[in-house]
Amino acid sequence: MSGKSTIYAFLGVGLLTTLLFVVMPVIFSISLSFYRMESFVGVPEWVGLQNYVSVLSDFEFWRALASGTIYAVLSIVLQLVLGIGLALILNQSFVGRGLVRGVSILPYLLPTVIVVLTFKWMVDGSVGIITELLDSFGLPDVRWFETPSAAMMSNVLVSVWMWTPFVTTCFLAGLQTVPDSLYEAARVDGTNAWQRFIHVTLPMLKPILTVVILLRGIWMFNKFDVIWLMTKGGPLGSTENLAVMSYRRAFAQFDVGGGAAVATLSFLILSFAIFLYFRAFPLETD
Amino acid sequence: MAEIELRSVVKKYGALTVVHDFNLKIEDGEFVVFLGPSGCGKSTTLRMIAGLEDISGGTVRIGNRDVTHLEPKDRNIAMVFQNYALYPHKTIYENMAFGLRLAKLPKQEIEKRVAEAAKMLDLQELLGRKPKQLSGGQMQRVALGRALVRNPDVFLLDEPLSNLDAKLRVRMREEIAALHQRIGTSMIYVTHDQVEAMTMADRIVIMKGGVVQQVGAPLRVYDKPANVFVASFIGSPEMNLFEGRVGGSDAVVQEMRIPLGRNPRLTDGVEITVGFRPEHVQVGEGDLKFTVNLVEQLGVQTLCSGTCNGLFMRIMIERRDDLKKGDVLSFAIPEGKLHLFDKSTGSRIDQADK
Ligand SMILES: Nc1ncnc2c1ncn2[C@@H]1O[C@H](COP(=O)(O)OP(=O)(O)OP(=O)(O)O)[C@@H](O)[C@H]1O
Ligand SMILES: [Mg+2]
Repeated sequence: MSGKSTIYAFLGVGLLTTLLFVVMPVIFSISLSFYRMESFVGVPEWVGLQNYVSVLSDFEFWRALASGTIYAVLSIVLQLVLGIGLALILNQSFVGRGLVRGVSILPYLLPTVIVVLTFKWMVDGSVGIITELLDSFGLPDVRWFETPSAAMMSNVLVSVWMWTPFVTTCFLAGLQTVPDSLYEAARVDGTNAWQRFIHVTLPMLKPILTVVILLRGIWMFNKFDVIWLMTKGGPLGSTENLAVMSYRRAFAQFDVGGGAAVATLSFLILSFAIFLYFRAFPLETD
Repeated sequence: MAEIELRSVVKKYGALTVVHDFNLKIEDGEFVVFLGPSGCGKSTTLRMIAGLEDISGGTVRIGNRDVTHLEPKDRNIAMVFQNYALYPHKTIYENMAFGLRLAKLPKQEIEKRVAEAAKMLDLQELLGRKPKQLSGGQMQRVALGRALVRNPDVFLLDEPLSNLDAKLRVRMREEIAALHQRIGTSMIYVTHDQVEAMTMADRIVIMKGGVVQQVGAPLRVYDKPANVFVASFIGSPEMNLFEGRVGGSDAVVQEMRIPLGRNPRLTDGVEITVGFRPEHVQVGEGDLKFTVNLVEQLGVQTLCSGTCNGLFMRIMIERRDDLKKGDVLSFAIPEGKLHLFDKSTGSRIDQADK
């Protein structure tokens, strides 16, 4: 095979898989949103924009949008702050650094189910270690899943626990590409550690940060598994985001068209947000 | 402006000592070059003066202040790095102004200083650009400018030209020398390029394995190297060096006998290292016979490598177009151009005509 046909062959495989597993389902799901369909076996009936009208006039949609956004923003901000802080610490030289670096990535490697179950055990009312700890300090019990704000906090907490290592890893990799001489020049210029972080570290890692925020943003906005496993969107739908809502409508309420409309709207909103993000932080540096 | 003094400065990494008992006094306005092979501790010493490296022993004074334990910013030094170390996301203007801003200088003063430095280094057109949009030579001038605006007591430069191509290096060398003459601030300049050292320095500090070998003016070091290491390190092409012994009024190296001339009477049989520079031989006189093996034309001069009594050596003579492999030249080494060293210690045996 000549070089050119090799390239086409590889491109072809890539394009085909994308077509099959990404483009087709998206088109399928978008087209579903224009039909009434009570199950996947019945004959769909064309209803035009009616699913959208019904979804957009449903207060649950706006609640899910708000709650999903709050969840995404809170957990991203915390992941970033903790992740960067941890990366800065792990970038110092100390005894056992390699081991600590290895252990710190662990939560990211665990399946979501395990992390969620572990969390639930830890806060279990009778045997949970966190419950006992709170007890021993004489602090009142936290009802982790019972009020809307506590449930939201629990979801954020577990997400931060799981995905901070991702931010740490990306940032740590970036830190190692910053030349020492820049920090030294900054020391000669008279900066303190905080000023060096602001004037050297952050700008040098801006490209990485831009991508990390983008990726985390997409993932957290579309997050399904954590919320479903933790709270199923409850109590009373207060922690439900668009992904969970779409699933609930399609598979629990047998309104496949409505679920597809929610998914499509979610996709459009996210695309618009990403568009704004790229306008504000263009990827190319300088 | 200030004198700089290093007293018994030592640097250790754990059990490893990389700079041993470093003593040096640098006069106000002097241009001192630290010269030595890779890994000899030049950068480490410079960085100890800068405050970027902890000092394991001894003291560093700048002016009348003991700065041994001060932060770099409190030492009133400026440093130029090998890879320039410009802030990539800041403009050239901001790169130069940054330190002054941190020092909370008034805005007009900052503008004035940056403008002056930019003028001196011909950077006016570039002030609005980012470092990425500059050539290597321009970046190096910005790095110098950033140092200049600080009005430091001393400039510390760590191999500032080694990332530039040969031609640009010569030009920047001249620019730095001119800058030094103009502002008259002390400079300490690290390099492993002996040509840079010879051309720029008021005094050269030659180091090896963390130990100072010799401190002196370039020509002094060239004329009277303190030991075999300095002799071979300074000068290009390298000095011819042979191990032998004193035999009567000659230095005897295997079959070759080099007359010692007016050199001090040395005891017969004393083991010595004897050396002479390729450019110092006089061809057409004397009894030594040089057999040409390889001829290199340098333009004004011709460099030949070959043998004398089977010993490999180089000689450099005025341009000769007719030489070829196998030719035999008679040569002599003039009075005072022969260097003698103690074979066991390597130190120079001082000559009578000192
Ligand atoms: N952090 C460190 N730990 C241990 N040894 C070090 C450390 N930094 C430098 N050294 C050693 O100290 C010695 C001197 O290093 P230095 O950088 O001063 O050399 P140099 O003369 O500047 O060489 P070059 O011309 O290659 O820059 C070297 O042998 C080096 O291996
Ligand atoms: Mg060095």
